Amino acid sequence: MINITLTINGEKRQFAVSPGETLLELLRREGYKSVKKGCESGDCGACTVVLNGRAVTSCIVFAAKADGGTVLTAEGLESGGVLHPIQEAFLEEGAVQCGYCTPGMEMATYDLLSHNPDPSAQEIKEALSGNLCRCTGYVKQVKAVKTAAKKLTKEAK
Amino acid sequence: MRQVRSKEGIVSRSQVTNYVRPSTPDEALALLRKSGKSARYVAGGADVARTLPSDVTTLIDLCALKLSSIEEGPEGIVINATATLNEVLENESLARVCDGIIPEMMRKVGSPLLRNLATIGGALASAHSWSDVIPLFLVLDAKVTLFDGESRTLDLSDLYASREGLVDSILTSVMIPASRAGDYATFHKFSRTGCDIALLNCACYAHVDGGRCTEVRIAAGGTPRLAARLPHVEEALRGEGLSDETIEKVAHIAQDTAQTADDRRASGEYRKQLVYAGVKRCLREIAEKLEGER
Repeated sequence: MINITLTINGEKRQFAVSPGETLLELLRREGYKSVKKGCESGDCGACTVVLNGRAVTSCIVFAAKADGGTVLTAEGLESGGVLHPIQEAFLEEGAVQCGYCTPGMEMATYDLLSHNPDPSAQEIKEALSGNLCRCTGYVKQVKAVKTAAKKLTKEAK
Repeated sequence: MRQVRSKEGIVSRSQVTNYVRPSTPDEALALLRKSGKSARYVAGGADVARTLPSDVTTLIDLCALKLSSIEEGPEGIVINATATLNEVLENESLARVCDGIIPEMMRKVGSPLLRNLATIGGALASAHSWSDVIPLFLVLDAKVTLFDGESRTLDLSDLYASREGLVDSILTSVMIPASRAGDYATFHKFSRTGCDIALLNCACYAHVDGGRCTEVRIAAGGTPRLAARLPHVEEALRGEGLSDETIEKVAHIAQDTAQTADDRRASGEYRKQLVYAGVKRCLREIAEKLEGER
């Protein structure tokens, strides 16, 4: 076993991980159940988290590699029972159906909007291209990201 | 647990007993030499996590070597090996090479989620036949630096010609020569979906002087072999202008001379058509750029 330190959703924690364990496996075993297990080969995006500021598929990240890093999951988006503007926007626009892809979509959105506060529809589609949704036709998600961008810009003012 | 059914078959990661993060290339090399075939280098890890052979028990993570910067040097832009594909895509110096061809190609590689993990060193050293990075870097005349106790620099094409450099050494950086006025490069990828790997891809570079191509490099990848230059096409185009007739003629030479074969993704015959279309589109795009500058 290897001892690693991660800051998850603002909380610094220590874990003993096995050398071949993935970040997805660690996060789910530690109760971060918003991080979904889908394809386990980096194709579907259900396990997306923000690692050191960038959205990645946690199923193909070795937990040992993340040692010393900062992880944000969907659990860390809300604060004090208040939803994050990205979460609000997904609800308001009806971008959630079965919900399995939603946490991953929101984390990919978080990465996009922290680097590009006013993305075009094309930029949104590119940013979400690694997150598969089998319920919708992606129209509502693109709308939700636009709404989230507006909310965040308003909040920053 | 930790067993994944992937496109490559069952991947198990539970056999891994060591995960080490050496801080110098010497240390990394010594670890690999000690463990032999049971060890594997990991950069971003995206590829290794998906396709780990069952006899690999030691993973040597190269990211602690602090080789992730992108720097402008006297001869060109040096991309250190563990820079991620998205860092390459977003780099302003690299965006100036041949009118932005590097970010244009990079946007077609997988998804942004994958590009935040995958590194340039991994993309080059894993030598996947479907790589989009390799054909473009071949035509941009990239040089790679390897460390096998000491550093040596060689042409990217030579790295793949002998493959000896891919064993028992660490790829530490790749250099893209600075662009000159008159340099043009284009890239075209054929795939089922935007995030999928290429059925075939094609990259063209030309230095145009007085309306004629004085220097030409053209490569095709996913043929389904590793990307390679198309010497007959290059020869036919050298010294010529980019008229519709010339483009048509050399695209047919590409179709006739490219070594294509069948695999589960596409037939060799279909790939011949794709080489023709790829070369034609790439060269037409250069012709349009020239036209636009007039």
